[in-house]
Amino acid sequence: MRPEEILSSFREAFGERILSARTIERKVGTAEPRSVYDVWIEVEREMLHDAVAHLCRHFNPHLSVISGDDLGERVALNYHFATGWGNRFGEVTFTIRTFVPKGDFHIPTITDLLPGAQTSEREKIEFFGLTVDGIPDDRNLFLPEGMTIYPWRKDLQEETSKEVRRTVKWETRDE
Amino acid sequence: MNNESINLQIGGGATCYSVPIGPVHPALKEPIRFQFDLDGERIVGVDIKPGFAHRGIEYMGMRRNLIQVLYLAERICGICSISHPLALTQAVENAAGIEVPPRAQYIRTIIGELERIHSHLLWAGVGAHELGFDTLLHLTWKIREKSMDLLEQLTGNRVDYAIPIFSGVRRDIPDEKAHLAYEALDYYRGLLDKMIDAYLHDKSVEMRTRNVGVLSHDDAVALCAVGPTARASGVKKDVRQDMPYLAYADMEIKAITPEDFGTEPVGDVYDNIIVRLLEVAQSIEIIEYCLENMPKGELMSIPKIPALLAVLKKAEGEGIGRHEAPRGEVFHYIRLEEGIEEPVVWKVKAPTYNNLMAWVPKFMGDEVADIPIIAASIDPCICCMDRVHLVDRDGEPSVKLKEELVRLSREKTRRICG
Repeated sequence: MRPEEILSSFREAFGERILSARTIERKVGTAEPRSVYDVWIEVEREMLHDAVAHLCRHFNPHLSVISGDDLGERVALNYHFATGWGNRFGEVTFTIRTFVPKGDFHIPTITDLLPGAQTSEREKIEFFGLTVDGIPDDRNLFLPEGMTIYPWRKDLQEETSKEVRRTVKWETRDE
Repeated sequence: MNNESINLQIGGGATCYSVPIGPVHPALKEPIRFQFDLDGERIVGVDIKPGFAHRGIEYMGMRRNLIQVLYLAERICGICSISHPLALTQAVENAAGIEVPPRAQYIRTIIGELERIHSHLLWAGVGAHELGFDTLLHLTWKIREKSMDLLEQLTGNRVDYAIPIFSGVRRDIPDEKAHLAYEALDYYRGLLDKMIDAYLHDKSVEMRTRNVGVLSHDDAVALCAVGPTARASGVKKDVRQDMPYLAYADMEIKAITPEDFGTEPVGDVYDNIIVRLLEVAQSIEIIEYCLENMPKGELMSIPKIPALLAVLKKAEGEGIGRHEAPRGEVFHYIRLEEGIEEPVVWKVKAPTYNNLMAWVPKFMGDEVADIPIIAASIDPCICCMDRVHLVDRDGEPSVKLKEELVRLSREKTRRICG
């Protein structure tokens, strides 16, 4: 898989709807260095599902994980895919980044396209307080049911710290 | 298990029981809860609840400087205690544009592969134990000790080796110690055929593991399974092959599937054994290649820690670090901002995270007695428990934190003591 191949396919399918795209080339190997590539694109939330559908249709992707980044007014979600696996030096990491405003805090699920995304989507729900439309199971996965703090939200740090301090104090008390 | 937790439904001539196993159960090595729906002996549904060992490591990491994060990453998992640092150091080095000297890349690879040998042998022993074959467990773990001893001789520690650091490694493998590694490799090479014979040509092992816990090729891809769990289903996915890094970029690495043993991939527990045992052989070759071709030179491109911290503090950017751990792909994403010592974002993805959903098709249709070996087949890594889930009499799940349980326990002591 060449990074240009995947990028040109996306440009052809979505054109101007891709907000930005960049390819990072890294050299690996000590004797005769070779290149590996990380591709990053940014899309609007409305295009996320179509972008993943396009990826699934043409590039047989593996979803490593979805990471989240609280930027203040909005949260950036990075869908870290890898495509082209199966051959030596064949893989390219492909990250689709989308932004979710906190005032309208929901994203469409991609589990209809890639069922394996469910674990990662459930984690985003409980750690950010996000709504994932259409996810078959939105229960908390790693945190207990009914937990009301969202540890990765930077605007809610005070509540989270309070809860963390309370638990640490209880755990480390002398008796 | 109390009576309230068994939900008996009778209808249409079929009897369906709902049976919870875990979070703490003799068949599981670490806390996780499975809620099985059973039709007689057959599993017809399963709900998986992890999180009992959730320690908020990413949250902690985002409040510490990167050197401290490295120590934390090393302690995410006792078995993969170099896999997380390897992924983290690569993520940070990619984000900050730090070079790693060739010799350091080779040393990281050697320790990473030694970890794979001990992890796969640990798993094989656990598998034998789950099948009731304890002689094989003890034999396998005795053999495993050699790799633990070697790790201690090379790094000073049996676990948490503290080898990788941003920009290189902390310790060299000097020539006078290389012979210890060669000795261990010869030891393993001599025993490998015996291990393959004991596991793969044993009638009872085959009967208990063939066509048990099957994960099809398509399911493995759709569920984003990784590592030996995916490769046993014939998915040729291995970060060392697909997107080489460190010394793996200098050698030919091939994802191992049951085809390398001469059989068609089924994706069952037996295939998981094949893949892991053959990967031990692969690791021996990789270590040998690294020892023979180890470049000379420095160990760190930025050897002074204050200078390293200063470089890290100035760094701005984001990076991905991936490593093929014994259980599959470990993935770290990091974002650094100039002037901030802590990572702004740190996301850790361990292999079991991906393989969690692969458990569902593996369990379906199999028998209750197969639960332990299927649960063990993905080589789960979950860690220590911190809270308890209870099911109320009316069936409503509720969560009791440890403090609440201790309170209830003390209340009961007081009550019965009058």
